[in-house]
Amino acid sequence: MGSGYLGRRLFQALLTIVMIVLLNFILFRMMPGSPERAALRIPGVSQEVFENTRARLGLDKPVFPDQLVAYITSTAQGDLGYSYKYRGQPVAEVIGQRVWPTLILFGLGEIVAIVVGLTLGAYSGWRRGGAIDYVGNGLSLILYSMPYFLLGMILLVIFAVGLGWFPVSGMFTLGQSYPSFADQLFDFGTHLALPLATVSLGLIGQYSILMRSSVIETLGEDYVTTARAKGISETRVMTRHAVPNAMLPTVSLIAINLGYLIAGAITAEVVFNWPGLGTLTVDALTSRDYPVLQGVFLFLSISVVLANLAADAVYGVLDPRVKG
Amino acid sequence: MRSTMRVRVARVLGAGALVAALLLPAAAPVAAQDEHILRVGTTQDLDSMNPWQTALVVGFEVFTLNYDLLVNFGSNLEPVPGFAESWSQSEDGLTWTFKMREGMLWSDGEPATAEDARWTFQFVLDGINSEDGFIGLGYLDYYVGDAGVTAVEAPDATTLVVTTDRPNDQILRTYVPILPKHVWEDVTLAAVADFQNTPTVVGSGPYQAVEWQTGQFIRFAKNPNYWKDAGGAEEVIIQIFSSADTMVQALRTGQLDYAHGVNADQFDALATEAGIVTVEGSANGFTEFGFNTYGTGTGNTIPDGGPSTPALLDAAFRDAVGYAIDKELLVDRVLGGYGTVGSTQVPPFQTQYHVEPTTPRTFDLELARSKLDAAGYALDSNGTRLDKEGNPLNLRLFMPDSESTYPAAAQFIQDWLGELGIGVSTEVFDSQTLTDIMLPPEAGDYTADYDLFIWGWGGDVDPNSLLSIFGCEQIGSTSDSQYCNPAYDTLFEEQNVATSTEERRAIIAEMQNIFYDDAPYHVLFYDSTLAAYRTDRFEGWTNQPTEDGAPLFGYGSTGYTLLTTVGAEPSPDASETAAPSGAPATAAPEPSADAGTTSGISPALLAGIVLAVIAVVAVLLVRRRRTPVGEEE
Repeated sequence: MGSGYLGRRLFQALLTIVMIVLLNFILFRMMPGSPERAALRIPGVSQEVFENTRARLGLDKPVFPDQLVAYITSTAQGDLGYSYKYRGQPVAEVIGQRVWPTLILFGLGEIVAIVVGLTLGAYSGWRRGGAIDYVGNGLSLILYSMPYFLLGMILLVIFAVGLGWFPVSGMFTLGQSYPSFADQLFDFGTHLALPLATVSLGLIGQYSILMRSSVIETLGEDYVTTARAKGISETRVMTRHAVPNAMLPTVSLIAINLGYLIAGAITAEVVFNWPGLGTLTVDALTSRDYPVLQGVFLFLSISVVLANLAADAVYGVLDPRVKG
Repeated sequence: MRSTMRVRVARVLGAGALVAALLLPAAAPVAAQDEHILRVGTTQDLDSMNPWQTALVVGFEVFTLNYDLLVNFGSNLEPVPGFAESWSQSEDGLTWTFKMREGMLWSDGEPATAEDARWTFQFVLDGINSEDGFIGLGYLDYYVGDAGVTAVEAPDATTLVVTTDRPNDQILRTYVPILPKHVWEDVTLAAVADFQNTPTVVGSGPYQAVEWQTGQFIRFAKNPNYWKDAGGAEEVIIQIFSSADTMVQALRTGQLDYAHGVNADQFDALATEAGIVTVEGSANGFTEFGFNTYGTGTGNTIPDGGPSTPALLDAAFRDAVGYAIDKELLVDRVLGGYGTVGSTQVPPFQTQYHVEPTTPRTFDLELARSKLDAAGYALDSNGTRLDKEGNPLNLRLFMPDSESTYPAAAQFIQDWLGELGIGVSTEVFDSQTLTDIMLPPEAGDYTADYDLFIWGWGGDVDPNSLLSIFGCEQIGSTSDSQYCNPAYDTLFEEQNVATSTEERRAIIAEMQNIFYDDAPYHVLFYDSTLAAYRTDRFEGWTNQPTEDGAPLFGYGSTGYTLLTTVGAEPSPDASETAAPSGAPATAAPEPSADAGTTSGISPALLAGIVLAVIAVVAVLLVRRRRTPVGEEE
C-alpha cells in the first residue's frame, strides 16, 4: 500500500469533515421550531422573555452571514459553544460526559460481535449443514431481525427483573461508595452486562450471516480448490486461504456499521437508561439544542470518517490489489 | 412498507414483553443498597441548577431542596415556616413582618440572616423595575409583583419588613428561593442567565445538590445546618429516566424508592405488588381541546393563515361543539379512569378557587345539532355542515407528540364532530414544530395556521398563571387559543388586587364562567399524576395535599423532610408545624462533593477499561504475528 493512496484518502476525509461542519449548521436550522421556546410552554411567560432569550443565544442575528461566521470561527478554534437546553453549559462538557459510556458500550459490543460473529459465521460456512450451522444460522437470523429495544426488554425482563442477577438500568449504583477500585469495576461490569449483551447479540447475527455466505462463496473459488489439490490440511485451507478473502466484505460492513450504531444506540440506551450519546441526541433534538446537535454530529461524522479510513487501511493490508 | 410492518410487529412484541415484565414476579430487591439514600426517579430532564433559569417541575423540585422559600408549603399547602420562622401582618394589611431564626446558618456555615432574604427580594424588585422587566426566564418574579411588594427592609438580622401596595396575603405563596447573598451578590441582573450555580450548591434547604450529571442524575447531601432535624435520608438522588417502563422496573427491583410519572397500565400492575404503594395525585393542570379564535375581540386577520373559517370565532359555534364531547367517556377510555372530567381553567386541585360552571354542558349530540342549526350553521344536502359563508366545515385538528392521550382523545373527537357533519383531519407534530405553526404574527414571522388543537397546561399553587393564558396581551406569547376578551382582562386585574380572599374568589368564579361559556377551550380532563413508592427503606410518606396529592414532586421540600428510615425513631419535631424556636444550629462541616463517591466514570476506571482493551488487542496481534507465515502457497 503506497503512501499516495493513504494521502489521497486522508485528504478526502478532511474534505468530508469540512462539508459535514457546514451541513450540520444548515440542516438543524432548516427544522421548524424555535430553541428559545423549547421547554417554555409555561403560563405567564411574556414576549420579552422570548426575545431576550433569542438575543442571548445569538439567534436574533441573521443566519447568514453572522451566525454562520460565528459558528465556523468557533468550531475551527475547537469551541463547540454552549448548550441551549442546559442553559449555557459548555457543549464539550455535556458531550464529554456522554461519549465514554457510548464508546465503551459499543466499542466492546463491536469487539465481542466481531470475534464471536465472524468465528461463528466462518465455522458455519465451513461446516455447512452441520449442527452449528443449523442452530447458529437460525439464531443469527432471529437476532439480526430483532430490534435492539425488544431484545433489550426481553433480557431486562428475564435477567434483571425476573432473576435479579443484574441491575435494571444506569451505569453505576448511584450514591454507592466503593471500598476499592475492583468493587467499582465490578459494579460497572454488572451494569454493563445486559446492554452489552443486547448490542453484541444484535451485531453477532448480522456479522455471522455475512461471514457465512462470504466463506461459502470463497470455498467455491479456484484457488481454494488448488490449495486443497496441493494437499494442504483443511484447517489450513480455511485459515490461510478462505477466511482472509472472506473477510473483505465484512470489513466494509463493520466500517459502515459504525455510522448506524448510533441509531441502535438510541434504543438500547433508552431501554437500559445508559447515559450515552443516543439519549443525548434525542433530547437535544426535541429541545432544538443546535450547539449540542452540531457537536454530536461532528463527533459522529469524524468517527465514521476515521472508521472508514481505518477500513481502507485494513483493506490495503488484506487485499494486495488495493494500492496507491 | 416492509420496514413499517416490521416496526409495527416490533411494537406489538415490545408491548407484549412489557406486559409480561409486569406479570413476572420481581426478584428480591438488591440488598446491597445503602438504606439511607433516597432514590427518586422521574422522566423529566433537569435543565438548570439556577432557579431563575428553570421552568420545569423537576427544576422546582431541585431548587426547593436546595433553598427554603420565605414561607414553605405544608402538607395541605398551608403556609409553614421556611426561611422565616414566623410572620405577622399589620393592622392596615400593608406591611408584613417576618422573623428569622437566631443563629441560622447556610449549608457552608455562613450565617443566614434577614439580610439574605432582603437581598433576594430586592434582586427580584430590581428585575421587575429593570428595562427587561423580569429575571432569567421571568417565571419567578411575578410572584413578587402579584403580591404587590413595593419595598423590603431588614432592620436587624432577624427581621424582614415587606411593604405592599394593597392588603393581600400572596406574599405567603411567593415561589422565590431565598438565596445566600454571599454567593449571589456579584451576580448582576444582566448576567443571571449565565450563572450556572454549579454544585456544591450553598442553600438553607434540607438537601443541597453536590453533583449533577446532565441527563442522568442529581445527587444531594443532607444539609448539616438545616434549621430543623428532619429528613431520614442522608442523601437524595433524583435519577432521570428516558423510559417510564425502565423506571418502573427499577422501582420493582428496589433500585428506586419513588417513581414520579408512571403510565396508567404500569400503575394498575404496580397496585397489586407487595411493598409498593401507588398514589393517584390530583392534577394541578388539564388537557384541553382548543379553538383558534384569532381575531376575537381585536378584529385582526392574517393573510395566508389564521383559522380556516370565521365559525371558530363564534362563541355559539364553540358552545354547540361542546355538547358533542363525552368527557366522561374520555376519562374512562383515554385516561383509564385516572383523572376527572374537565370544566374550567382552574383545576379542582385549587379547592379554594375552582367552581363548576353555572350552566354546564351535557353530552347530547341531538342538542349539539339543533344548537348549530339555530346558530346559523346549516347542513347541506350531503349532510355536510356549512359555515355562515356557505363553505363546508372541514377543520384541522393538531396536537403535539408528547402524550399518547392526545391522539387517543382526537380519535373520539373526530368521530363526534363527524356526527355533526363537521369534517376533522388530525395531524401530530413534535412540540417545537407545533409551537411554530400556532404562533400568530404578534410573535414575529408566524401565521397561526390551524383550527383546532389538543394540548395541556400545568399550574401553580396560585391560580394566576392558568388564568393569565387567556389574556389579550398573551397573544404572541403563551396564548394558544388567541382568545381576547377585554372584560376577562379587567377581571384578571381586579382579582389580582382584591383585598380579601372572598373577593378574589368571587371574581375568579366569574372568570371561570366567562371562560366556560365563551369556550376558547373545552377542558377535556384533569389528568392525575401517577406515582408509586416502596415502603421497605423509608416510611412517613405523606401526600401533599394529604387528601389527593402525592408525597413528592408537589410544592416545596416538605415531603422529603417528613420521611424517616424504616425502624428509626421519628424525631420529635419532624412535623413541619413544630419548628424549633431560635435553637442555634451548631456549625457542622458543609456537605462536600465527595460525601459518597462520584458516580460518573472516574479517570481511573476509564484508564482501566482502555488498558484492558489495549491488552486484549495486543494479545490478539501478537498471536497473529507468531503464526508462522504460510510457506507453501
